[in-house]
Amino acid sequence: MDIALRSIIVFFFIYMLTRVIGRRELSSLEPFDLILLIVLGDSIQQSLTQDDYSVTGAFIVISTIAVLQVSVSYLNFRVPRLRPLLDGEPIVIVQDGKIVERNARRERLTTDDIAEAARMHEIASLDDVKWAVLETSGELSFIEKQN
Amino acid sequence: MIPVLALFNVFGQHPGRATVATAAARLQVYAPTRVRGGLLYEARFRVTARRDLKKAMLVLDPGWAEGMSMNTIEPSPLGQASRNGQLVFTLGHIPAGQSFLLFMQFQVNATNVAWHRPQNVELFDGGTHLLTIKRTVTVYP
Repeated sequence: MDIALRSIIVFFFIYMLTRVIGRRELSSLEPFDLILLIVLGDSIQQSLTQDDYSVTGAFIVISTIAVLQVSVSYLNFRVPRLRPLLDGEPIVIVQDGKIVERNARRERLTTDDIAEAARMHEIASLDDVKWAVLETSGELSFIEKQN
Repeated sequence: MIPVLALFNVFGQHPGRATVATAAARLQVYAPTRVRGGLLYEARFRVTARRDLKKAMLVLDPGWAEGMSMNTIEPSPLGQASRNGQLVFTLGHIPAGQSFLLFMQFQVNATNVAWHRPQNVELFDGGTHLLTIKRTVTVYP
């Protein structure tokens, strides 16, 4: 009983944490982020299973998290009004070659970060960008201006 | 299905209460009846004397110790012994109207698996049998 309750609490805590941390940090796994993720996973494991070495305990944790994940995904699909809360919304970072400062600052994106992402999409200058959007996945997508 | 069953304590850990009373004494055991390998848990025995118990003794089935690590017993009993494989804890004198609360801390050994293993608890006053609580424990792998 307790292990299922702990799984539910930890699931929603991690869900909230990922929303707070921000999509950008989660989409780009730098070496430090990777190590942090492993440390986080280890800390979570302690709180979930504690001294439970049983297969039954593992089944309970895994199935509880799976059920919650499917439920959240189903809610996201069925209730459009919940989508901004559960999944976030795409954020416009560049509009007509100009950086939308307020949005960039909120997502902690510097001009260099945006320019780097543009170069990775084979765009030489931000002046050529009509829209740059930070997607809910954490990826920056670009739409070039029509010549 | 598994999470729902787990929330209804089918896979254990949450303690349950069993009580038996006679004219001489009342015994309550508060401990889980379903556990899993590795779990730490507590068993609480409350003996309430309805008349003077000169030499109260708790007698536990071997199922209490089988595949379990007994971490601590508080307060320490006056004596411990074995009686045909059963564990005997001498609590001593309990005056009428008073209670004796015994705590035992256990950890389930990771290799321990059991299905309805007897964990009966008997209360004696010296050589006189006063009451028995019948219970079992299931240890999930």
